[in-house]
Amino acid sequence: MADTATNEAAAPSKLGAAYPIEDHTYDVLVVGAGGAGLRAVVGCSEAGLRTACITKVFPTRSHTVAAQGGVAASLGNMGDDRWEWHMYDTVKGSDWLGDQDAIEYLVRNAPAAVYELEHWGVPFSRTEDGKIYQRPFGGMTTHFGKGTAQRTCAAADRTGHAMLHTLYGAALKHKAEFFVEYFAIDLIMDEEGKCRGVVALKLDDGTIHRFRAHLTVLATGGYGRAYFSATSAHTCTGDGGGMVLRAGLPLQDMEFVQFHPTGIYGSGCLITEGARGEGGYLTNSEGERFMERYAPSAKDLASRDVVSRSITMEIREGRGVGKNKDHAFLHLDHLDPAILHERLPGISESARIFAGVDVTREPIPILPTVHYNMGGIPTNYFGEVLDKRKGDPDTVVPGLMAIGEAACVSVHGANRLGSNSLIDLVVFGRAAGLRAAELVKPGEKHSPLPENSAELALSRLDAARYAKGSTPTAELRLKMQKVMQNNCAVFRTGEVLEEGKTLIHEVFDHASDIGVSDRGLIWNSDLMETLEFENLIGQAVVTMESAANRKESRGAHAREDYPDRDDANWMKHTLAYFDSKTGAVRLDDRPVHTYTLTNDIQYIEPRKRVY
Amino acid sequence: MSNPTHTPMRTPLGRVRGLGASHTGTEHFFLQRVTGLANLLLMIAFIVIVIRLAGASYAETRAVLGQPLVAVIILLTLLSVTVHMRLGMQVVIEDYVHTEGLKVALIIANTFFTIAIALAGAFAVLKISLGG
Amino acid sequence: MAEFTLPKNSQITTGKVWPKPAGAKKLTEFRIYRWNPDDGRNPRIDTYYVDREDCGPMVLDGLIYIKNKIDPTLTFRRSCREGVCGSCAMNIGGTNTLACTKGMDEVLVKGVVNVYPLPHMPVVKDLVPDLTRFYAQHASIEPWLQTDTAAPEKEWRQSKEDREQLDGLYECILCACCSTSCPSYWWNGDRYLGPAALLQATRWLKDSRDERTGARLDNLEDPFRLYRCHTIMNCAQACPKSLNPAKAIAEVKKMMVERHI
Repeated sequence: MADTATNEAAAPSKLGAAYPIEDHTYDVLVVGAGGAGLRAVVGCSEAGLRTACITKVFPTRSHTVAAQGGVAASLGNMGDDRWEWHMYDTVKGSDWLGDQDAIEYLVRNAPAAVYELEHWGVPFSRTEDGKIYQRPFGGMTTHFGKGTAQRTCAAADRTGHAMLHTLYGAALKHKAEFFVEYFAIDLIMDEEGKCRGVVALKLDDGTIHRFRAHLTVLATGGYGRAYFSATSAHTCTGDGGGMVLRAGLPLQDMEFVQFHPTGIYGSGCLITEGARGEGGYLTNSEGERFMERYAPSAKDLASRDVVSRSITMEIREGRGVGKNKDHAFLHLDHLDPAILHERLPGISESARIFAGVDVTREPIPILPTVHYNMGGIPTNYFGEVLDKRKGDPDTVVPGLMAIGEAACVSVHGANRLGSNSLIDLVVFGRAAGLRAAELVKPGEKHSPLPENSAELALSRLDAARYAKGSTPTAELRLKMQKVMQNNCAVFRTGEVLEEGKTLIHEVFDHASDIGVSDRGLIWNSDLMETLEFENLIGQAVVTMESAANRKESRGAHAREDYPDRDDANWMKHTLAYFDSKTGAVRLDDRPVHTYTLTNDIQYIEPRKRVY
Repeated sequence: MSNPTHTPMRTPLGRVRGLGASHTGTEHFFLQRVTGLANLLLMIAFIVIVIRLAGASYAETRAVLGQPLVAVIILLTLLSVTVHMRLGMQVVIEDYVHTEGLKVALIIANTFFTIAIALAGAFAVLKISLGG
Repeated sequence: MAEFTLPKNSQITTGKVWPKPAGAKKLTEFRIYRWNPDDGRNPRIDTYYVDREDCGPMVLDGLIYIKNKIDPTLTFRRSCREGVCGSCAMNIGGTNTLACTKGMDEVLVKGVVNVYPLPHMPVVKDLVPDLTRFYAQHASIEPWLQTDTAAPEKEWRQSKEDREQLDGLYECILCACCSTSCPSYWWNGDRYLGPAALLQATRWLKDSRDERTGARLDNLEDPFRLYRCHTIMNCAQACPKSLNPAKAIAEVKKMMVERHI
């Protein structure tokens, strides 16, 4: 088991007595065991770095497991494909908010990353000649927008599951050290602003563990559960983002929240875009394939923000289906049942269980549902966390990295293309491992931790554990989710967002009255949900404030009062700092990288985004 | 692995790997199925013999059992049944008995018992058949 | 010998009956196993009433309703709520299954939803079992592709037919419903790998890209690791993903015999 080297610094006096601390020292600490975290763990282990991975759920329960459609890479197995086309699509998908150096890094490293996954054992579906099967996906084109690309590598409709289980196996192969069901409470930051590790709560016995590392990699995923209806798992509470905000660091582009066009009406469970990739289409109450009107060329395979807005418009204009005319239909019933069985077995099952629908006969009732956070912890394409200090927008925060949905590299800009997230995980997970190998020498000496390094975490833990207020965590969380759902949705206006600001700050202020019933320490999920709520509410507040601030429409951020993209004033990343005591938000910005990584491709100039 | 309380500090993987795979079991598994099949066929023949002997006198019975084919069928039945019995009983003992010493003792007893049954039966048949 | 007398602290007592939600018209009764390691008391069965008009249709929806609105101390694992992460495996209405994909109305026994932790595993708290050994068993079958031939520049080629061999195997979500429903695993879980680990082993044995089939079989060939499977079939009955671990194990036994004769 884990090394428990004693730490030179004393444990905090007051809380230290109540919460004895067990210390661990590693070269690298990865927080989170989803696709990105596991890929980083493998990379660091390969580099000979002593690596620990702490995770609040067993690795194969991470939300990567729920990704369905596939992972994008220009392998060209189904026809001509080039990384330049993938880059163009990603830039266009991002509505030109993505940093093109990072995007070039992503798409050029994508094929190697997919082959690597295949070599580790991912059971990809196959073509007739035994290559990896690739399917069409929204926004993925050839010849710079002219044709339809088949770029998304798929393992039926369980690609994320296949990837996550394989990555876990690869981590086992490399004898990675896992700390399973450890909940990270807070980062340890020293006086110089360097991240020195993490304090975590071990769920099964309630002990406190302090992890010291030269490098801490946050791979904690998104915060979809800030919303009422999300495809995200219950555990998607953006714990890394919450920790970063409390450490006084900014989050970037938080106003960009992706609504997936096809969440199952009612339950919010995901129906992959691959369903439309395989030929599925949307209809309104008149049976019309309305996407032909909104996106004459890409139709149902337009980018997700476009399709979600189109569905919302149809419902608004009274052409929704169902008793309340408040959703739309996704048709797969015209497809060959054999194809459905081979390529979409998982969603056929989901539709049966959660909508009571036999996809071979009936359409699936769907509704745009919160799915992905383009925003997150700002990083460069090495995965190093950035802050704007003394006017330098690219100041590296030493000792801290972020990858996956938790991070904002930014390759997805204002809107992520389907299947670009799985490739983001492995490409930047790998990049983080490579960077760690450059930054850290195996076994390098550690300096002592600052005094009271666990104070922030323990005081927060103790406060939550003994919270005696009158509002249960669940009630407050529900209020937050309703506010976000009502006031920060697919379409936004200044008025609604201003109201949202007031309401979400009310929820934040109300948190002082939070009440926790379970006082134990062993598997205290009431306590854990409260700590998760604290992570969520910070991100909810900055999301609302960032959205109210951005007076233009770009990608997933659609302002009815500012319907056009405004490159002159808003071609920039939002930075949001949060005061976790008062709830006050300070907004700043960073320039978008309007340059590429190499001279192999020129900067793709902004133009009107039409599908 | 007989007493896991003696190795509480062992890692979970260490405990699962235990003493390693014994690289046996397939023959046991296969032989159990083969004798199962043999039992089925031999028992049919055996039952036919028993039915034919119903109500027969001692002398008639001895005469029938003296026929080589009948004797061989009965000997084969004895062999197949006792081998099958030993294999099956061993699985039952392994399933339910978790005290290592008792388990080994029972497995040995099971072997002794089935061999004794088999030999006693064979001796009886041979004695009758060879007219001893 | 098999233990027939239960330790004192395993006697389950009658617990608290929690008040019905006010004004609810349609109620479903839940009886839930509770055990708190901190209070030193025996396990108990608490009774709750879920307002069906304020709650989704699945058992997990009911548990979350109870946790959110009645008793925040109720403890269980959950994550994806759509049957792919395997967190919320528990014993519901007498069957091991996922709470998130099981409708309350499907599991009523005399009008009651009975919820217990997965059987025959150490309980950490309430509905949370300790799955450490289960995970170690999965790790012991070495769940990664093993090859000695130099990896190709691109993908290993695999025919569609060979890829089809993995269907019904790779979909396993490691929820442990199968293994903890298997009597043989209850009796000999310390040495028998159990249906989940063996299904996973089959997934790699059947992968045409893998070059260590023989070594994998060697690792399994053992009266306990593999041959404790007595085709009781509870695993196939329990699997919430409709997989058939018993069939997978039979395939492994077939491969074993094949290499012997």
